[in-house]
Amino acid sequence: MAILEVKNIVKNFGKTTVLKGIDMKVEKGEVVSIIGSSGSGKTTLLRCISFLEKADGGEIVLNGETIFDANAAKQLTSAETRKRQLKFGFVFQNFNLFPQYTAFENVVLAPKLIAKERPDFKENKDKIYAEIEETAKQLLCRAGLQDKFDNYPCELSGGQQQRVAICRALALNPEIMLFDEPTSALDPEITNEVLKVIKSLADEHMTMIIVTHEMAFAMNVSDRVIFMDDGVIAEEGLPEEVLKNPKSKRLKEFLSNVRM
Amino acid sequence: MPLRPFLRGLPYMTWFLNTFLPITNDLLVGFRATVKLFSLTLLFSLPLGLLISFGSMSKIKPISWLVRTIVWIIRGTPLMLQLIVIYYGPGLLFNMPLMERFLAALVAFVINYACYFSEIYRGGIESISKGQYEAGQVLGLTKTQTFFKVVLLQVIKRIIPPMSNEIITLVKDTSLARIIAVYEIIWSAERFIKLKGLIWPLFYTGAFYLVFCGVLTLLFGYIEKKMSYFRS
Repeated sequence: MAILEVKNIVKNFGKTTVLKGIDMKVEKGEVVSIIGSSGSGKTTLLRCISFLEKADGGEIVLNGETIFDANAAKQLTSAETRKRQLKFGFVFQNFNLFPQYTAFENVVLAPKLIAKERPDFKENKDKIYAEIEETAKQLLCRAGLQDKFDNYPCELSGGQQQRVAICRALALNPEIMLFDEPTSALDPEITNEVLKVIKSLADEHMTMIIVTHEMAFAMNVSDRVIFMDDGVIAEEGLPEEVLKNPKSKRLKEFLSNVRM
Repeated sequence: MPLRPFLRGLPYMTWFLNTFLPITNDLLVGFRATVKLFSLTLLFSLPLGLLISFGSMSKIKPISWLVRTIVWIIRGTPLMLQLIVIYYGPGLLFNMPLMERFLAALVAFVINYACYFSEIYRGGIESISKGQYEAGQVLGLTKTQTFFKVVLLQVIKRIIPPMSNEIITLVKDTSLARIIAVYEIIWSAERFIKLKGLIWPLFYTGAFYLVFCGVLTLLFGYIEKKMSYFRS
């Protein structure tokens, strides 16, 4: 059974329809890359899935449970939305680290605040915090940031900041990681260090949806590639098929315009 | 001590002891009222300004419209006029007894400065990128947590320069309280014109303001430096 099912998602911004009925399924452990020119709706789709935007139509099903239904009689309360958002880890194009916290503090902030809601928080506070800190250390070390714990975001390079942002999202133990053009704001030279971290997650079978312009990376890391054009899924399939053997004219055009 | 220079210095000495020190002492009494008005205004207008800024950013249109109108009126009329209206207005309109002078001045200052502060807060809050709120949201922070744990410190850092400007203006604006006869430093100096025909005590008050503002400038410089460890 698919871990995530997106059914007929529609999203309008004013009079423009950005998503014109998107259907997609993601299996557990699958890595799906979404490609397409800007304005095709890739980012909006990702934002609808993670509740950063509210879709105007359609349903989102996670683990068989409908977590979003645009036609539902009752709107989700902010607490319900919050709970659902935590199933997803979201990595932004421009990192959005909290500038007043160190790399380490950025990673532990949310888990510590959320831990306060646990019923056993009062008795086990020290133990819970120690666990959170231990996890954060492991995550940062794995991302190659072992000597950057105490650095503030402004002291880190773009690639380092993005790696911290990935650790921050992972620290909440999400079921699905969503990446919104994670390397678009980076110098070509340092995109690799970020892609390597994402690749290592793929190797551990983390379920991921990655909006990207890095065709070589999409080819290398994903199990499936989706090409979006003008608010619809125009083509999808195995990376070799989609990227090496495009069927539609639009995708051929698109691929000839981006370097592989 | 040689006698001659001592005698030559004597008039200055007596002037210092008999005129300068007592006048300084008198001015300090007025200055105390100035400092009191300044501190109490800050104490109340800083939080009130935050409330007003929330009001003007409210999604409920009538509230934001009403609050913005009030801010427009307060910022669009002279503080001196507001002092007079608040002191005499209630009596003239509703036959209420006159407020104590200092209290009336304080109310006028608090309202006036809260409105100015609210605009600085609003500018600061609205300058924080949407991404910070969204990052808070996807990390499962509540709106309140996002505001206090993520946004607030960044807002404070950004508003310190305009705030310090406004606060230093407040130091000198307190002299306007004189218009409803609040005994502050300018007035305490002015008395010497009539009393002894001395104008210099009035000029001398400038030194008090300068020192006060100097201390504040140093303080704000220190805070700015303290917060320079991050950039947003």
